Amino acid sequence: MKVLAYGEIMDGGISVFSSVAKVDADLLIVSFGGSIRIDNPYKYLEQYLAELDQLIPKEEIGRIEFDFKELDFCNSNGFYIIMDITELIIDAIKGPIKIKRLKDDDWQQETLPILLNVDEPEIEARTTFEEFADI
Amino acid sequence: MITQEELATTSISMRYDLSPIRNIIGDLSGLLGNFSDELIGAFYSKTVSKKANIVITELVNNAVVNSPNSDGKITLEIMINKDLLRIRVTNVANRSQYRTVRDHIKMINSTGDLRKLLADTIRERRKDRMRGGLGLIRLAAENKFSLSARYRAPYLIVDSQIGLGGLS
Repeated sequence: MKVLAYGEIMDGGISVFSSVAKVDADLLIVSFGGSIRIDNPYKYLEQYLAELDQLIPKEEIGRIEFDFKELDFCNSNGFYIIMDITELIIDAIKGPIKIKRLKDDDWQQETLPILLNVDEPEIEARTTFEEFADI
Repeated sequence: MITQEELATTSISMRYDLSPIRNIIGDLSGLLGNFSDELIGAFYSKTVSKKANIVITELVNNAVVNSPNSDGKITLEIMINKDLLRIRVTNVANRSQYRTVRDHIKMINSTGDLRKLLADTIRERRKDRMRGGLGLIRLAAENKFSLSARYRAPYLIVDSQIGLGGLS
């Protein structure tokens, strides 16, 4: 497994949110952790988006896994950056998509499918959700 | 040994008054949201405490960002018992701001398909990377809160509440 790209949001000198994209054979795993609370997450994650855009087409990837289990909180200003990251990847890789999420988290259950555009039949057809309990 | 069900009958009420608003330079909504999440989560399920966190974050942030008077104050009141979670945020506002919030809530409350409203609003606002405008819709569509607003000059009072039957 190799790390493809890494992005984080710093607040008060500490990392409050991070996302890492890793490649394991033909699988791209993108995990999200921490909290998005700041007004403008692009200030910190623009470079991460650019790296994903540049590096993913160079890889032989057939499957996607998005892991949201460690994402504790996302304010409404964070919605667009989640959409940008996932849309970029979903558009670039036409294989199956697995979403790991928390079953008792309102935003992961209600809003995340909207951000992932799962209402689109083409995306819905290749997306599966795996539910986890929050520990 | 006290059970989880017994813990979730605990009554808690909290009130914070902060003034002047110009002194709020850090992430106040995050501080209050996270603390309340921890405290409520000591008695109620994570589902309930996370709902409180999101509502507090969105409403307090709205109040801080939109308060026209930097000398004014913000009040956050939280009340939870086995039946109900209610979060009230009060801040100085002019009548025009009140009418905007009132009309926005009226639109939300009259919408049959809140999920579609949230989806359409996110996609519409994303085109221009517009900030704000999602918080109240989110609280109703995602977190299932009932919203209301009233004006007691010069204060705008926004109430959000949810019944806890089956959630706690």
